[in-house]
Amino acid sequence: MAVDAREIIEGLREEIRRLERRPAHPAFFIPSGCAEVDALLPGGGFPRGAITELAGSAASGKTEIALGALTAAMGDEGLAAYVDGRGELYPPAVAALGLDLDRLLVVRPKGPDGGAGGGEAAHALWASELLLASGAFEGVVVDVPIGSDPRCAMGGARLDAMLRRLRAAAEKGGGLALWLGAPEGTRVPGAVRLELSEGRTGRRVRRTFAREVAAFGVHHAA
Amino acid sequence: MQLELGVGRAEARPGAVFPRVLGLCLPDLSLQRVLRAREASGGDQPLDRRPLATVRDGCVVACEAEARERGVRGGEPLVQARAACADLEAVPVDDAEDRAVLEGLAEALLVIAPAVEIAGPEVLLLDGSGAHLFVRHGDDGERMLIERAVEICAEQGLRCRAALASGRTPARALARYGPALASVPPGAAAAALSALPVAALELAPDLERRLGALGVRSVGDLARLPPATLAHRFGPAGLAAWHLAQGDDPAPLSPYLPQRLPQESLDLEGPAESVEQLLFGLRRLADRLGARLAGRGLGATRLRLALRLDPSGEERVEIAFASPTSTGSRWLFALRERIGTLELKAPVAAVALGVVEAAPAPAEQLGLGERPQRLAALEAVLARLAARLGSEALFAAEPVDRHRPEAAYATGAFAAKRRGETRSGRERKTRSAARGGPSSVAGWAALPADLVRPTRLLARPRPLVALGEGGRLTALRLGERTVRVLALSPAERLCGEWWGEPFDRDYHRARLEGLGDCWIFRDAADGRLWLHGFFD
Repeated sequence: MAVDAREIIEGLREEIRRLERRPAHPAFFIPSGCAEVDALLPGGGFPRGAITELAGSAASGKTEIALGALTAAMGDEGLAAYVDGRGELYPPAVAALGLDLDRLLVVRPKGPDGGAGGGEAAHALWASELLLASGAFEGVVVDVPIGSDPRCAMGGARLDAMLRRLRAAAEKGGGLALWLGAPEGTRVPGAVRLELSEGRTGRRVRRTFAREVAAFGVHHAA
Repeated sequence: MQLELGVGRAEARPGAVFPRVLGLCLPDLSLQRVLRAREASGGDQPLDRRPLATVRDGCVVACEAEARERGVRGGEPLVQARAACADLEAVPVDDAEDRAVLEGLAEALLVIAPAVEIAGPEVLLLDGSGAHLFVRHGDDGERMLIERAVEICAEQGLRCRAALASGRTPARALARYGPALASVPPGAAAAALSALPVAALELAPDLERRLGALGVRSVGDLARLPPATLAHRFGPAGLAAWHLAQGDDPAPLSPYLPQRLPQESLDLEGPAESVEQLLFGLRRLADRLGARLAGRGLGATRLRLALRLDPSGEERVEIAFASPTSTGSRWLFALRERIGTLELKAPVAAVALGVVEAAPAPAEQLGLGERPQRLAALEAVLARLAARLGSEALFAAEPVDRHRPEAAYATGAFAAKRRGETRSGRERKTRSAARGGPSSVAGWAALPADLVRPTRLLARPRPLVALGEGGRLTALRLGERTVRVLALSPAERLCGEWWGEPFDRDYHRARLEGLGDCWIFRDAADGRLWLHGFFD
């Protein structure tokens, strides 16, 4: 009996050692859930600790890709945040995509007309920086209308500084960071950018980094 | 008959086993309470500090050691006390406040005892039957229980005497009149009580006076008297007193049951004008409040902070938390942020911190690989966001069974669920597999209606103008822009709410050239077309 107990304890010790060796984050790259998109990304998925831009028109599919990646990043227990600067995220669709709404924090700064105005865009960026840097969330999606909406216009130098701070916050927090933007919208300095577009043959996606057009792919065919 | 009864019950019960009870006595509680409040509010001692005494009806109840050294005695008139100590500061006794302190301590002690009784103005009795659970590495469980109880008192800013014995009367008597810390083994209560005055048994005043007249001074004197004689002379009360003197008290505890969520308040020594000053006091309040909640197995999900301004006015704020917690230090993140955003018109004279909403707090045992700082970081970030953006700007959504699309979800406070509280992974996987993912858009018309919802819903639908040929919709005009309709799903009718604001809409998923999949509807009321969302 005593031998059995020792064996059990030794087995448990070994199990603890094994679990402790397990990295805090199971994977550095988070798959988007779409093979064509993953194929365009270095590492086969969205990296943690760096901002990735998803740029596209209003119905280009970028939100669905972001939510899929968020679900993968959250796993069974993690938390995620969505900074909804446009006030357009529709939770029933989010739940239908398989994301656990209980573990999704939605941050929706209110503007004078219910949406995000100029001051609210700054608030939303500030909130994004805080969420990204906290390390409490496995993934953060930032959907703040900058550049595409004249109401949300911010000074260039100020905006640049905020975006650079956002990038530093993502590095500090180490979680998945996705920026949803418009095709002609402001770019986050140094971020990998996926441009999604809707053509006659279906949704298309291509990856760009800085000035380079790195790849070109077809997301799906209708 | 009376004598027979007395003789029949006059045998001490040598084999009887009485419950183990831990008695805690908080000597001079009124004075301790005042000193505790001053320590929590100010910090620095003024150079001209005067000796302090609490008074009731013009008589001294308790006084500080310095006043005692100068000749002040408890029970003497204040005038007489001031003759001995001219600069004596007198503070009236507040029985209600003292009782509140005892109740708070009783709640905090529930963390180590299954039942706590408030047994008098300065005494608490704890059920010590679970002392064996404190045994660790061969330590004596009862000694550990006593030490832990004294520690909790100290954390609450109070000092106490403690005695663990069998039965409530020995425990109470030894705590009040015995040594500072005492542990009496079962069966030895009579010997431990024998040196104490008869007053320790808290008999009826008349009986105590009559015993005194007979020369009975100590409990030992009473225990040595023949029980039959006591029963003959004093009746059942005399016999009961003899049993108590033998340490024989089978009466159970009468547990204190908290009726309200706890609140702690503090009058500041001087009006506070800085956040740091306020936080100094709030830290103590938060610790006390947290201990009280922990004793009840609860954690706060919403706190209310009330600041009384000097000379008048009050500011109240409520702070919600992502998960129930009784850890005061985690509340301080939120309190600091919230106070920092307040624009107070006057200095703060008093603060009160109360629990508005509480929930059972799970034990905070971290799993392997979990980062303890993550929980603190979550509270901190939520507190800062709520302070700057307002708590209504942060939410967790919950689907609601409503047909009106814009009312199909509700917002609630974000409360991060722990392991086992979320939907099972299996269910999530099933739902995930059933969804219409990006690559399955071609087949979306066949999906169940509740899955075909746009990821973005416009707060205000935008008007569309239909353009067609031969009764077929070929294009839509959105503002100045005209886009071709590439595909159009069959209509999904959503209608209802006839009792309030009825609506009747035919929704379509329309693929528009250069724009993508959009959610449009035709309002049956006027036949107009609207853009309501994007399948982004």
